[in-house]
Amino acid sequence: ATEDCSKMLKYRCSGCIAVGKSLNSRNFSKLLHSCQYQCDRHKVIVEAEDKYKSELRKSLICNKKILLTPRRRQRLSNES
Amino acid sequence: MFQGQSGWFCGSVSQELKQFWVAEGGTISDSREAEFLFSSDASHPDTLRIYQSLEYIEDNATVFHAYYLSAVAKAEIKNSVALGHFILPPECLQEEIRRKIGSFIWEQDQHFPVEEDDEV
Ligand SMILES: [Zn+2]
Repeated sequence: ATEDCSKMLKYRCSGCIAVGKSLNSRNFSKLLHSCQYQCDRHKVIVEAEDKYKSELRKSLICNKKILLTPRRRQRLSNES
Repeated sequence: MFQGQSGWFCGSVSQELKQFWVAEGGTISDSREAEFLFSSDASHPDTLRIYQSLEYIEDNATVFHAYYLSAVAKAEIKNSVALGHFILPPECLQEEIRRKIGSFIWEQDQHFPVEEDDEV
């Protein structure tokens, strides 16, 4: 496994070298975003995920609006 | 190694890896509580639910490939394995990412002898 260790050393950013107990699923994304010098791998992954998240966020806001528009709520309560 | 840490496991993760987590002191909890989210398959419904959650959108939930656990199991110095290499992005992004940076680390490692390979 020394071979893939040296492979890992080629790319280094805080996402690459952070080990230990402090790192988990809850803080990893924030850690990467706060890192000024993302390696190529992490940069590509972060960009792709960010794009995906912003699209999801948009569609979520749309859905909420539809549900919470007063007129629609009124209509729904009239129907029932 | 995982003493006092809680993990959530997608249904796609093999029993062996879950048992390894527990044997190393980790606990198993639900996807909202867990500090670690592990999956072996980004297209599994359990994992899809994470990708559609508010926590994920707000950068509070990164899914890691459960291959991390077998890398830890095989490593001589257990806490030397960098978790950051095992990010598991949503299936629909993987092709695009692969095109830019080549295969993922868990794909590259497939040629190493893996005992718990009954999954996939
Ligand atoms: Zn990196």
